[in-house]
Amino acid sequence: MTIAAITYHRPATLAEACALGRQHGSDAAFLAGGTELIPDYQRERETAQHLIALDSIRELRGISEEDGLLRIGALTTIAKVAASPLVRARLPALADAARAIGSPQIRSMATIGGNFCRAVPCADTPPAAIACAARVRLAGALGARELDAEAFFTGVRKTALNPGDVLVEIVVPVQPHHSGTSYQRFARRRGPALAVAAVAARVTLEQGRITGARIVLGAVAPTPLIAARAAALIEGEPPSDALFERAGALCAEDALPISDVRGSAEYRTELVRVLARRALHEAVARAAGSAQ
Amino acid sequence: MSGELMIRLNVNGEDRALAVRPNATLLAVLRDKLDLTGAKRGCGAGDCGACTVQVEGEPVASCLMLAAAANGKSIVTVEGLARDGDLHPLQKAFVKHGALQCGYCTSGALMSAKALVDRNPDPSREDIKTSLSGNLCRCGAYGRMVSAVEGWKEYDGVTLDARPHAHGERDQQRDHAVVGHGVTRYDGPDKVTGRAKYTADLRLPGMLHGKLFGSPIAHGRIMRLDVSKARALPGVVDVLTAADVPDAWYGVSPAREDEQLLAKDLVRYVGDEIAAVAAVDEETAERAIKLIEVEFEELPAVFDPVAAMAPGAPVIHPEKPRYAGNINTRVDWHFGDVEKGFAEADHVREQRFVGNRTYQAPMEPHAALARWENHAGRLTIWTSTQTPHYVHRSLSRMLGMPMGSIRVIRPPVGGGFGAKAEATPLDFCSAIFAKRTGRPVMMEYSREEMFRHFRGRHKQYIDLKIGVKQDGTITAVEQRVVLDGGAYTSYGVITAYYAGSMLPTLYKMPNYRYDGTRVYTNLPASGAFRGHGVPQPRFAFESLLDMIAEDIRLDPIEIRLRNAMTPNTRTCNALDISSCEFTATLERARDTSKWIEKKGKLPRGKGIGVGCGGFVSGAGYPIYRSDFPHSNAVIRVHEDGTGISLHIAAAEIGQGSDTVLVQMAAEELGVPYEWVWLADCDTTTSPLDLGSYSSRVTLMAGHAVQRAAAKVRAQVVAVAAAELSRDAASLVARGGRIFVKEDPAVEMDWAAAARLAFSRQGPVVGTGSYQPPKNLGGDFKGGAVGTSPAYSFSTAVAEVTMDLETGQISVDRVTDFSDAGTVINPITFHGQVEGSIVMGLGETLLEDTLFDAKGRAMNPNLHDYLIPTMYEIPEIHTAAVESFEPNGPFGAKEVGEGSLLPVLGAIANAIYDACGVRVTELPITPEKILRGLAKHGPATGVRA
Repeated sequence: MTIAAITYHRPATLAEACALGRQHGSDAAFLAGGTELIPDYQRERETAQHLIALDSIRELRGISEEDGLLRIGALTTIAKVAASPLVRARLPALADAARAIGSPQIRSMATIGGNFCRAVPCADTPPAAIACAARVRLAGALGARELDAEAFFTGVRKTALNPGDVLVEIVVPVQPHHSGTSYQRFARRRGPALAVAAVAARVTLEQGRITGARIVLGAVAPTPLIAARAAALIEGEPPSDALFERAGALCAEDALPISDVRGSAEYRTELVRVLARRALHEAVARAAGSAQ
Repeated sequence: MSGELMIRLNVNGEDRALAVRPNATLLAVLRDKLDLTGAKRGCGAGDCGACTVQVEGEPVASCLMLAAAANGKSIVTVEGLARDGDLHPLQKAFVKHGALQCGYCTSGALMSAKALVDRNPDPSREDIKTSLSGNLCRCGAYGRMVSAVEGWKEYDGVTLDARPHAHGERDQQRDHAVVGHGVTRYDGPDKVTGRAKYTADLRLPGMLHGKLFGSPIAHGRIMRLDVSKARALPGVVDVLTAADVPDAWYGVSPAREDEQLLAKDLVRYVGDEIAAVAAVDEETAERAIKLIEVEFEELPAVFDPVAAMAPGAPVIHPEKPRYAGNINTRVDWHFGDVEKGFAEADHVREQRFVGNRTYQAPMEPHAALARWENHAGRLTIWTSTQTPHYVHRSLSRMLGMPMGSIRVIRPPVGGGFGAKAEATPLDFCSAIFAKRTGRPVMMEYSREEMFRHFRGRHKQYIDLKIGVKQDGTITAVEQRVVLDGGAYTSYGVITAYYAGSMLPTLYKMPNYRYDGTRVYTNLPASGAFRGHGVPQPRFAFESLLDMIAEDIRLDPIEIRLRNAMTPNTRTCNALDISSCEFTATLERARDTSKWIEKKGKLPRGKGIGVGCGGFVSGAGYPIYRSDFPHSNAVIRVHEDGTGISLHIAAAEIGQGSDTVLVQMAAEELGVPYEWVWLADCDTTTSPLDLGSYSSRVTLMAGHAVQRAAAKVRAQVVAVAAAELSRDAASLVARGGRIFVKEDPAVEMDWAAAARLAFSRQGPVVGTGSYQPPKNLGGDFKGGAVGTSPAYSFSTAVAEVTMDLETGQISVDRVTDFSDAGTVINPITFHGQVEGSIVMGLGETLLEDTLFDAKGRAMNPNLHDYLIPTMYEIPEIHTAAVESFEPNGPFGAKEVGEGSLLPVLGAIANAIYDACGVRVTELPITPEKILRGLAKHGPATGVRA
C-alpha cells in the first residue's frame, strides 16, 4: 500500500523543526523512525501533508549521564536503548521494555521518542520510564518545558505536545538507593507481538521494608496508568508473596482495559494481577541485588 | 519540496543518485528504480521481514523507511551478498541446510542473518532466534535456518554444489544413485541470491498497475455506482465495472459456479469485488479506487452458519433456489450400521468441537501480470498459482478464448498451502485490462486483500460420537459437521466431503455415519487449506479418542494401536489402502519420545500428548470431469548428451517438488542430478499437470516423469547395446554410465550414447503420463472424494510446558514419524514435516481470522493475525519409517499435508495432560486455558 503524496522537510536544527511544526500546525507530522507513522499514513490514520524529518538534528540523539540525570535523546533507536550498558545498569526495566518491542528490524528504526509521541496504549517504554520517575523535555516554538512523563500522555494517541512541540529527550533522575525495577509484559507469542497487558514497577527497600514503590500499568487503559493504591499498600511493609498478591489484585481493580482482538478485558485484568505480582518480585530481587 | 527529491545511496557498493518522490519507500525505490527485487513486499507494514535490507549495517524493514530518509546511507540487499560471483557463506549454508522452501522470506532472513554475523560471527542459537524473529517463514523452515546460521562459517571458501549435505538425513536404505539422497534444492541458488523472479518482481515496458475496489459492506444491493471521478484522475488508463466484464458465473468447482467477476447487483461479503482500475502506477490506481462512489441498499447479513440456516435468515444467493436455506452442500453418508455399532459398544462418548477460520497466509501475496499479444489475439499471463491448469481453464471459459490462445506461465511461487489453487480476480482483471488497453498489466493483492480474498480453512462445528468396546476397539463413529463456507463455494463442496471421508483411513471403523452441511455466510469464502477439510475433524477425533482412552483406562497410544489401519485394506467408505505402516509410526514415536517414561509422570504444568494423521497422495479425480491424464511430462536430451530438459507443468510452491521430480528423472535416466534442467512452467512448452493440491505431485507427476525418463533411457541404452554388442536387457544406466550389470567394466559413457542416438534419429525425446486407476471409490454420492492411489500415515508426540497463571503454552518438543513410502529427498521430506509442525502449532494455539458485528475483518494483517515465528518453534525430531508404496514412483507417496494432521490433536492432548483443561474450541488460547482452570480447578486424575 502506498502512502499519500507528502511534502518532505528536513530541518537542520531543532528551532527550525519547531518553527515548521508551528507553521503547519495540525497539517504537520514529525518523522522519527517511521515504524508507526508510515503504517498510520497507509491506513490514513495520519494525513498531515507536511512531513518533518528530524534525523539531521544531532541533539535529539544519544544516551548520556550527567549530574545524576540519565538523558535519552528522543531519536535514540529502541535497539540502542535496549543495548545501552548505562540503561541496562541503571534502568533494567526500561531496557527490558525496549527489548520487548517489535523485531530487530523495527528496533533498529524505531525511536524512544516515537514510542512516546505516537502514544498508543500498548507502547512498552512509557510505563517503564514512568515507573522510573522519568520526565520529558519538550522544545517548542515558545521555548522549552519539562513534564513528568505521566503527564505527557493525555489519551489514546494523544499527548501534551502542542503544534510545533518536539519531544527532545527523556530525562530520568538517579534512582533511589536500594531500588530495583522490573517490566513484565504478556503477548500472544514470544516473537514480535504487541503487549496484551504490561506492568512496570520500581521498589525501594530499606532494612527489609519497602520504603517506596511506583507501579505503572500498560495496555490496560488509554494511557499508562499509575497504580497508586497498590503502591500505597506495599509501602512500609516487608515484601511477601501474599502482599504482592493483594497489590496485584488492587492493580487489577484499577485497570481500565478494553476487549479487542488481542484479549478480553476480563483476561487483561487477570494478567495485570499476575504481572504486577511478578514485577514486584523481580523489582525486589533487583533492589536486594543492588544493595549488595 | 513536494516534487521529486534527489538522494544519494550507496547500494551494494555502488553510488547511486536518484530522483525519488518524497512518499516513496526505500523498498519501492530498490525494486522499481534499481530492479533489486530480492527485497520482497510481504506485508507493507513491517510485520513479516521479507523486505529486510541492511542500512548502515543495521537490519531495517525497507517497507517502512522512506527513501528520502535513507539519503546518504549505505545499503546492502541480498543481491549484494555474493562477491565476485562467489556466494556468501550464509547463502551456501541456507542452500545446504535446506533452510528455504518457497524462498519468499529467504532474502530478508539472509539479511537479518548477515547483520547478525557482521556483529557477532559466532552467534548462539538464542542470538540467532532473536535476530531472525522478525522474519516470518510460513513454510516453517525456522529450525534449518538456525542450523544454517549456526554453521555458516563452514561454508567459507566452499564451492556450492548439488551433493547431499554432510548432515543430510537418510532414514531409509535404498539402492538408488539419486533418489533417496538429500541433494540440494534445485531452486536453492536462485532463491538465496534474489535471482528467483516471482510474479510481482517482473517488469514489462509500459506496464500498468491494476487495483480492485471491494465492497465496504457485508451484504447489500448496489443502487448506484459512479466511477467517473476515478476515470478522470490523471494517470488512470481504464476502469472496469460489471458492465465491462463477461456476464458469467464462475468458480473452480463446476458443480457450484456461484461467483461473478465484478458484482452486478449483490455484494455478499466485505471485499466482494465491484470495480477495478488500471493506472500508470500503483499509487494512482489506489487513489482512483478511493474516488469510486457507490451506494447500497444494505441488506441484513449473517455471519454464523447455524443462524444462516434458520428460517427467515438473509438469503445470500437468491438467484439460485437450489441454495435454499443458504445450504451450499449436503453430505449424508452411512456405512455399516451405526445404531447397531453403538448398541454393541461398552462405552460411548460424544463431544462438540469448534474449529477456527485460519488463513494460509503465504508470504508471497497473489499477483498476476497479463500481456495481450496484439499480433496474434493471444494472451500471456504470469501468475502466482499452485494450479496453472485450473487458472488456464478458468481464463479460457471466462474470456471465451480457446486454451490454445492463452499462455500461462508460473514463475516461482512464494507459498500457497491452498490459497492459490484457483483463478483470482487478479488473473481475470489483468487479462481484461491487457486486452482493452493493449498494455501489460500487473495486479497484486495487498496483505489485507489477501485476507479478504481468503479461501482459507472452513470453520467447522463438529459433533462427534465414538463407541468402543472395553478393550478400546471402535464399534461406531458418528460425525455431524457444519462448515462455515463464507460467501462462495471455491473448493468447498469437496471440503465438505473431505471432512468426512478421511476419518476412516486411520482407524478401522466398521460403522460410520457422516452428516456434513456447508453453509453460506456473509464472510470471505473458505476454500482448500493444507489437509483440506480434515484437520479440524482430525483434531476432534484425536481429542475424543484420548478422552475415551482415559474413561476406559487405556493408554492413548495403546488405543490407537488397537484400532490402527493395516495394509491392503478397504475402509468402510470404500477407500483402498495399499501400503500402511501406521503401527510403525505409533511405535517409533512412542519409543523415541520416551512416552512410557513420561506419560502420566510429568509435573503439573508439563504434559505429553499424541495425535495421528494421514492424507491422500493425490486426488483420484480432477476438479472437473475430464479424461486427460492428470500429470504429463516430456524429457528431451540435448544434442551432446550432457544436458537433459524436463518439461512438466507441476507447480513448485516451496514444497520441493521441482527437486524431487528432477531427482526421479535423473534416477530413471541413469544420469547425475546436475545434468537435468527443469524447463520453466509454461503451458506452451510443458504439458498439462493438474498442479499442487491434494498432495499429488510426488506420486502423480513423479510417475509421469519416471515414465518419460524410462522411454528416453531405452533409446539411449539401445544405442549403447549396439555399440557394446550386448543385449540391452543386460545393461544398467547409472550416474552417467551405461554398463553391463554382471560385468561393469564393459561400459559406455551415457552422453556418448545419447550423442550417437541424436546423430542417428534426431531429438531424443520421451513422454510420460499418469492417470490414476479408473473407478476408484464407492458407488455413492461423493464417493470420489478421498479416493487416491495411496495414503500417508503419521504420528506426532507433543510435549508442552504451561504457565498456569497466564495460560501461556510453550510447545517444547515434537516427535514425528511418517509413513511417506520411499523418501525421494530426505531434506525436503524433513522440511515438509517440520513446516507442518510449525503451521499446526499456529493453527492450534494462535490463529483465527476475526470479524466485527458488520463482518469487517478485525485482524487482516500479520501483527494481529499471529503466525509462529522462529521463537515459537519446538525442538523437532522427524523421521520416516521404512515403507514402500506399490502405487507410487520408486515406492513414494505424500507427506506435505498428512504431516499437518497429527499436530493439532497432539498439542491439545498434551495441554490436557499438563493442566487438566480440555479445550474443544480452536485456537487453544491462554485465555481459554485460564477460563478452564477457573471453572474446573485441577481436574480429577491430574497430578497435583
